[in-house]
Amino acid sequence: MSDYLPIVVLFVLGVLFAGLSFLASGLLAPRKRPTAAKLAPYECGIVPDREPPQRFPVRFYLVAMIFIIFDIEIVFLYPWAVVFRSDLHTFGLIEVLVFAAAVFFSFLYLVSNGALNWGPAKHLRPAMPERTTESTIARVGPGQGPGAGQAA
Amino acid sequence: MGSLLGLGDPLYAHGVHWVELLIVVIKVLVAFGALLVSVMLMIWFERKVISDMQARVGPNRAGPWGLLQTLADGIKLFFKEDLLPERADRTVFKLAPYLSILPAFLSFAIVPVGGLVTVFGHRFELQVADPPVGILFLLAMSSISVYGVMLAGWSSGSKYPLLGSVRASAQMISYEAALGLTVTMVVLLAGSLSTRAIVEHQSHTFFGSWYLIHTGILPFFLFMIAITAELTRPPFDLVEAEQELVGGFNTEYSSIRFALFFMAEFMNTITMSAIVVTLFLGGPDGPTPHVFILSWVVPVLWFLGKTLVFLFIYVWLRAALPRLRYDQLMDLGWKVLIPLSLGWVLVLAAFLVGRWWGVGVMLALFAAAGLLFRSVMVGSERDEAIEAPGAPEPGATPELGAPGMVR
Repeated sequence: MSDYLPIVVLFVLGVLFAGLSFLASGLLAPRKRPTAAKLAPYECGIVPDREPPQRFPVRFYLVAMIFIIFDIEIVFLYPWAVVFRSDLHTFGLIEVLVFAAAVFFSFLYLVSNGALNWGPAKHLRPAMPERTTESTIARVGPGQGPGAGQAA
Repeated sequence: MGSLLGLGDPLYAHGVHWVELLIVVIKVLVAFGALLVSVMLMIWFERKVISDMQARVGPNRAGPWGLLQTLADGIKLFFKEDLLPERADRTVFKLAPYLSILPAFLSFAIVPVGGLVTVFGHRFELQVADPPVGILFLLAMSSISVYGVMLAGWSSGSKYPLLGSVRASAQMISYEAALGLTVTMVVLLAGSLSTRAIVEHQSHTFFGSWYLIHTGILPFFLFMIAITAELTRPPFDLVEAEQELVGGFNTEYSSIRFALFFMAEFMNTITMSAIVVTLFLGGPDGPTPHVFILSWVVPVLWFLGKTLVFLFIYVWLRAALPRLRYDQLMDLGWKVLIPLSLGWVLVLAAFLVGRWWGVGVMLALFAAAGLLFRSVMVGSERDEAIEAPGAPEPGATPELGAPGMVR
């Protein structure tokens, strides 16, 4: 365990550094004079009208859940990688190929379900059903545009 | 067990007495000081190089060539009013900077800076710590730093920090998967997690024995992309995309709390550059004259030189590349980097077993790439099909693909 001793010392030093920085800042900084404007959430000068727990897209949760699949895969790969060259050879390779295939096919399922699509939402809907390309072009054609009456 | 997982620091071979403890404390203090000074210089370096690339002068007032500009900025931040936003979750808001800076400090501990040194009969490694878990410690620390960013944004009780932090966490965990997989390749070759062992394995011949060559060059680029995204540095800096999110997760932070976040960011940049050097470029490996003091100073210089190259590359990327869009970023991470790195791990393992295994797995990989491509196509078609009936116009019953449809 003595290998971890320097890490513990570094941890203590890091905490001390951050703590002393706060202490020094507390001593050196001007007295706090909070005003309502200073304490309000930053909103480019507009008074915020929403509650603090903001909404954000559910896809972020989805990514976090999918990440767990890969994280667990990686957790299994590390011990395998350490002993692969010395002990496992062909047996280890076949094992990991089967394992990777299982992960890969579930990944394919996710991708083909669109679980990882982040693109701008593609709304495939008519903007104005009565207006087609032909009608729009016809309306701004010569003699029919907004300036047509004035020119005549 | 010790020989299998790592060599271990010879310092602790005879137990830990006060002399060893003293050496540890000195090592830690030196590393700590070096890290702080290098952060200071790195910030100056980045500003100066960027301004040179943009034909500006850059910082030039404080100290020679503006070298002390960062120090001046840091001192200024000490004298600033420390605000706690009214809607902030006070405990978490105060905790978040610690969660950000401590992993940044700790992850540097595993970087091998030089070779072995003997001082007054005590032989030790020029490396703060050499734990058997080595590189896993780095991955653990980079996972913890996600908490710092996430909690900072969440606890601010404000819109921009929240958006910045959810983006940051999604981005960091996405690229962490690719990062973990590329590191697996190095572990596969070295057969050890200890960074010291990884460096020793690469130290036979200059350049030729580096894992840059042995892993097949591609993993190095995958790793570079993954850590640039992991550090949320340009072109992957959507976390603090100024044009959209003001300052990202640290918008509400002021005074010394902001300074700690800023320092953590640059410290991570330095550490990750050092990690690239360790994993792929042989760390302190290089031609070394075996003359008394030079035999341990020159490897350190090699290490510093290689790290500096990567620090420059980061600055260069920032100056040269425009920021990615968020969906491009996620597509790159999930649909390119992760499958590619997973496939390369398998190919590498297969080539370690035998040439024909390697060729076979490589062919299987092409088939898998085809499947993946098809899945992506199906996924994007499905996305459109789901979106289509989402917002029907009142009184209109459009058919898909009819004229007048807009996307």
